[in-house]
Amino acid sequence: MASAPSKLYADDVSLVVVLVDTNPFFWSASSLSFSQFLSHVLAFLNAILTLNQLNQVVVIATGYNSCNYIFDSSSDLNQSFENGRMPVMCSSLLQKLEEFLIKDEQLSKEVPEGRIKSSLLSGSLSMALCYIQRVFRSGALHPHPRILCLQGSPDGPEQYVAIMNAIFSAQRSMVPIDSCYMGAQNSAFLQQASYITGGVHHKPQHLDGLFQYLMTIFATDLHSRSFLHLPKPVGVDFRASCFCHKNTIDMGYICSVCLSIFCKHHKKCSTCGSVFGQAQSEAASTSDKKRKTPET
Amino acid sequence: MASGHVTKRAKYKTTIKDPGTPGTLRMTLEKILFVPHNPKSAGKLDVEFRFIKGQKHTKEGSSKPPWLNLTNNQNGSFIFEFENYSDLQDCRDFVGKVLAKSGEVSEKPTVTYPDEQLSAAEMELRIKLLREDSELQKLHKQFVLSGVLTEAEFWATRKKLLDREANKKTKQRLGFKSAMISDIKPSTDGRTNKVTFNLTPEIILQIFAEKPAVHRAFLTYVPNKMSERDFWTKYFRAEYLHSTKNSVAAAAEAAEDEELAVFLKQDDILASESRSKIRRVDPTLDMDADEGDDYTHLPDHGIFRDGSKEVTESENELYRRTLSQDINRHAAVVLEGRAVDVELEDTRSVAEALARSKQESSTKGESYGDTSRERLDRVSRMTEIEDLQAPNNLPLAPLCIKDPRDYFDSQQVNALRTSGDELAGTEQIKCSLSSQEVYGSLRESISVIKAMGLKDPIVKPEVAHQVFDALTQSISTTKYNIGKNPQESVLDRLPKKIKEELLHHWTSILELLRHFWASYPITTSYLYTKVNAALVLTLLSYQKLEAGKQTEGCHVTYLSTARVVLSNYPQVPFISSLLFYLLGSSDAKASYVWMEIKGSVPSDLRHQVSLLIRPMHQALDAAIQHYEADMQKRSARSGERPNGYA
Amino acid sequence: MPQVKIIAKNFMDMVASLPAIKLDMLYRNQFICEAILRSMPPLAKKYVLQMLYIDVPVTAKSLEEWVLADGSSKHKVAIDRLIQLRILEVIDRKKETSYKLNPTFQTNLRKHLIYGGILPREPMPSNVTVRLPTSEELDAYAHEQWECFLLQLISSGQAEKPTNFSSSMMRIFQRGLLCQREKEAPRLTESGFQFLLMDTNAQLWYIIREYISNSEEQGVDQADLIAFLLELSFHTTGEAYNMNTLTDDQRAMIKDLSDLGLVKLQQGRKDSWFIPTKLATNLSVSLTDSSSRKQGFVVVETNFRMYAYSSSKLHCEILRLFSRVEYQLPNLIVGAITKESLYNAFENGIAAEQIITFLQQNAHPRVAEKLPSVPENVTDQIRLWETDLNRVEMTPAHFYDDFPSRDVFEAASDLARVHCGLLWEDAKKMRMVVKAEIHMLMREQLRGQNK
Repeated sequence: MASAPSKLYADDVSLVVVLVDTNPFFWSASSLSFSQFLSHVLAFLNAILTLNQLNQVVVIATGYNSCNYIFDSSSDLNQSFENGRMPVMCSSLLQKLEEFLIKDEQLSKEVPEGRIKSSLLSGSLSMALCYIQRVFRSGALHPHPRILCLQGSPDGPEQYVAIMNAIFSAQRSMVPIDSCYMGAQNSAFLQQASYITGGVHHKPQHLDGLFQYLMTIFATDLHSRSFLHLPKPVGVDFRASCFCHKNTIDMGYICSVCLSIFCKHHKKCSTCGSVFGQAQSEAASTSDKKRKTPET
Repeated sequence: MASGHVTKRAKYKTTIKDPGTPGTLRMTLEKILFVPHNPKSAGKLDVEFRFIKGQKHTKEGSSKPPWLNLTNNQNGSFIFEFENYSDLQDCRDFVGKVLAKSGEVSEKPTVTYPDEQLSAAEMELRIKLLREDSELQKLHKQFVLSGVLTEAEFWATRKKLLDREANKKTKQRLGFKSAMISDIKPSTDGRTNKVTFNLTPEIILQIFAEKPAVHRAFLTYVPNKMSERDFWTKYFRAEYLHSTKNSVAAAAEAAEDEELAVFLKQDDILASESRSKIRRVDPTLDMDADEGDDYTHLPDHGIFRDGSKEVTESENELYRRTLSQDINRHAAVVLEGRAVDVELEDTRSVAEALARSKQESSTKGESYGDTSRERLDRVSRMTEIEDLQAPNNLPLAPLCIKDPRDYFDSQQVNALRTSGDELAGTEQIKCSLSSQEVYGSLRESISVIKAMGLKDPIVKPEVAHQVFDALTQSISTTKYNIGKNPQESVLDRLPKKIKEELLHHWTSILELLRHFWASYPITTSYLYTKVNAALVLTLLSYQKLEAGKQTEGCHVTYLSTARVVLSNYPQVPFISSLLFYLLGSSDAKASYVWMEIKGSVPSDLRHQVSLLIRPMHQALDAAIQHYEADMQKRSARSGERPNGYA
Repeated sequence: MPQVKIIAKNFMDMVASLPAIKLDMLYRNQFICEAILRSMPPLAKKYVLQMLYIDVPVTAKSLEEWVLADGSSKHKVAIDRLIQLRILEVIDRKKETSYKLNPTFQTNLRKHLIYGGILPREPMPSNVTVRLPTSEELDAYAHEQWECFLLQLISSGQAEKPTNFSSSMMRIFQRGLLCQREKEAPRLTESGFQFLLMDTNAQLWYIIREYISNSEEQGVDQADLIAFLLELSFHTTGEAYNMNTLTDDQRAMIKDLSDLGLVKLQQGRKDSWFIPTKLATNLSVSLTDSSSRKQGFVVVETNFRMYAYSSSKLHCEILRLFSRVEYQLPNLIVGAITKESLYNAFENGIAAEQIITFLQQNAHPRVAEKLPSVPENVTDQIRLWETDLNRVEMTPAHFYDDFPSRDVFEAASDLARVHCGLLWEDAKKMRMVVKAEIHMLMREQLRGQNK
């Protein structure tokens, strides 16, 4: 018997927001060329759209200096670019991507040397969540949303707070973040993002088979995930960055009021302004005499 | 125990040869108090019973005087010389009882540490909690009974638990029966014209509660004007008249007897009460005090008492009471509940108690007064229409960032900071190309793909197959490792005993660490010793886990730390007992525990178990590090007094 | 509870039942591959995707590795469906089952992913076509057309403008839905009622199925028709396509489809064209269930009164099936669910569950937010009234007595028991009642013993 209609479509109708890493510094060093990567991803997007007429795909470019929407299947399906050489959607996506890269390059002039070449993952995650929130609020029925991060650049510890905030808001709105990491080391951010939101994190072994990974793991809709094993990472890197120096630490100080993390002892929490207890040694000598000592 | 204390005259002797200080010995359940007659003499004594371990006494008929020797747990003793053997006898029995009692309590899950004044109920509550939760009991046994934490400390972190438990109990008081008093039928013997009513204090209380006029009459007439018996006879006569529906007769009798008239007339107290109630009614809406309460003067609407017909005789109306009034009044009294908690023995005391409680409530009612303003307030409050208000039950308390600039500016600064030198080691992508070049190559690849279309085939079938096989392989191996169910953790696959062992270690280490950290910053010497105690225990647990795989050197380091701690505080008894535990043969025992865990873990799980244990170590390491740093600071600062807090 | 058995909701069952050669033919068309992919259960789609670029057979075992314990039934359904549709080829070798994708299907789907699909006809440029209807107009048109058709289907007299379907065609559609006795107005059958309570997509597929099976009798190839329909579903809603691009068969068909509201036909000065509506493009939407949920219109109150915010005559007719319609305002139908009205419905073979499901699925958005959308007391009462009718269960049976001996009696009762047909026996008087199904068996046995 049909239960009361919910706001979600039945079964496997999905909205996939794909965050594509377009960090030029990463792609210039990667073993997988950017054009190869694009053809894998474009074919994957096309496959998602093929699976169900109501499926929806949104692509956000995660650049080095900025990020932006480069494709939205619900609005971009105009016929004018059709040339038979590739699916309709691809040409418009590529067009937008090119424009995006030009803008991104223009922004890059004043970046100082020596910074980690990470891309703006926090920005694109937030954009994805905003988009999903709009879908949630827009109308009667909406598809099951999920986010897929295709990331290659290393983590930028300075984005820690922003990324964690995005992750928690995704968790609250029950949006899983899948992540596919193509870089050299593994990404602690993405591991945590997938772990916290219940998504899948995977680091492909053979990058030239990326399409197969995308199809086998990341094309699985949320409905089917309750019936399938998907690869699980052995462990999750839970290390956090401190709020004060953006270092990645395994042990540190936490504000007991707002849970901000610091690598050193501070007198005052920089986030919420709570004053921490005085350093123990001075306090011990002064107040010892004043306070009555409870004797056991 | 029949008596909670014994007081005797005795002499207090520190040794057998001491001539002794004459004074008074007073023993209560908790302590022994000796006050010398001469206030200047030094033998004053105040010992708690829990320090007393045993007693010896001299026998009657022997050459020695009546002595009682109480030994304490530090092998000292208190000797009292009594005036005669019967006094000794009494004291001996008393001490025996107290010792027996404390002995038996310590076998149960104990909470009888008399260092704080606990009510019996609270004690009961704690015992109950311990009984229900074996985990808690284990912890309690391990830490409180071994003296690491005091009772109060242990429970201080569990206030919530206690409160919740305490809240469960609500006192339920006995209310009034819902049967109406008019249901009490008189018994007649049929032959004579005599009617008998049976009265119980219960019924009397109910009568008083329901009929304030009767209550008032009782207080004024009895026993000055008439006896209690006469009073009730009159009352029931009036009741009887009512029940016969003979309002003419009632009127006639009332005219004759003014006391009787009191019972027959409308209850003026009730009437005024209901009037005041109406005045107090919430002007907006109150369903249980509507105008109906004011209808006392109206005839009821065809409802007859006992179902018989009623003839309306307007002139005698005064002497009729209606069924609906009775029912309403009864219902109100039942709902109000029993306000009087006296033993229902004496009518008089019942009446007075009721009067007192009435008084209280009426004063409360007056304090409620200043009604007009109150009413206005209420009206304005109530006329807010809820439907139009936004729902105010926000599920979250928003984070209060005092000065948003503080937060966001610092984030901004950090984002812009060049953290190059700190992270130079981790930097992977050496920027060999200029940004122009890299952007150029990206754009190039886009134009390539625009011109050529997607690569066909996207993946080589062999690669695809290889990837699929690899993934399938990894799935089946994780399935084997993690178990059929992805929710099942490593813990569930361990043998039950080891799992419990591990969990227990976890909980006890957490408990200790909680107390350890809670003691910082150290401001009193009390906290200081407590930290040390916690630390030593921590070390001990650490030992338990680590001993198996620790190298000898490390092992020794921790032991020596423990030794340092102990040499500083020899006066703390439980530390010295731990010293033995640590340094003695139990060392071997500790390592045995760990070996046992290791040994019985299936070999393929060992790695995962050590993964599980690692965070424990880290937490302990942090505590120890903090402690050592603190110690160093301390010793550097106060080198001149090494036993600063002795 | 009577089962809803008549209508296989899924059109793909019909495709699956096509002979192998025809299926292979179908798979030559890219769009059909895509449409069929969409129609499959989610797990099946995933399997197709992950095997898309694998050329060698994949063992059944390696697929099963991925399945969780509680997904095994879904897995089986998915694999069965794939085999049924001949998308997976089963290879049994060395006691090990392996699967391989149908090569035609595989190549076509690969092509589709890389090159995209190209329709056999382009939309006409806007300067040729006059004024194309807006999407709202088109929706309204499709809706009206479909309702009109349905009304005509259930009561030929009611429709305001009769469709062009020949009465013989109409009769074919009505076959199974209506039954007509001599000189009586045709009555809806049980399945007819069930048909009306289904959602539009399912109704559409039922009609299309009847249509296709009928056209085969007239010599049109079934596979061609299916191919055309699926192709049509990939056309863009609201665009105009030239009629010249169609074959003769297709042109004949498109007229019928316009009667159903799938396309709108327009005539220009020179050319004529058709405009696909939502109904057409929804044909290939996952046919599994209510992805295309309409907005509801019914409010049921706890006092059994029912308010339907609808101006549709069809809705009124449907509601009349199980409720007493009291009055009708221009946009509101007010009725009550009464015992009598429900008994009427039950007599006509509508199940209580169907009524409840209908009320729930069509609940007005205001009440649909609540849980339950239909008051519990009403649903319970509807169920209770239904069970009232089922207090006595009828089982055709035979009564046996006068057994010659106790042995014969016992042998007979054992036989009946073995076949689960014994309803009642009285060992003392040697009598029994046995289900009618095994009467023949019993008779043979008894005869044999009598000899």
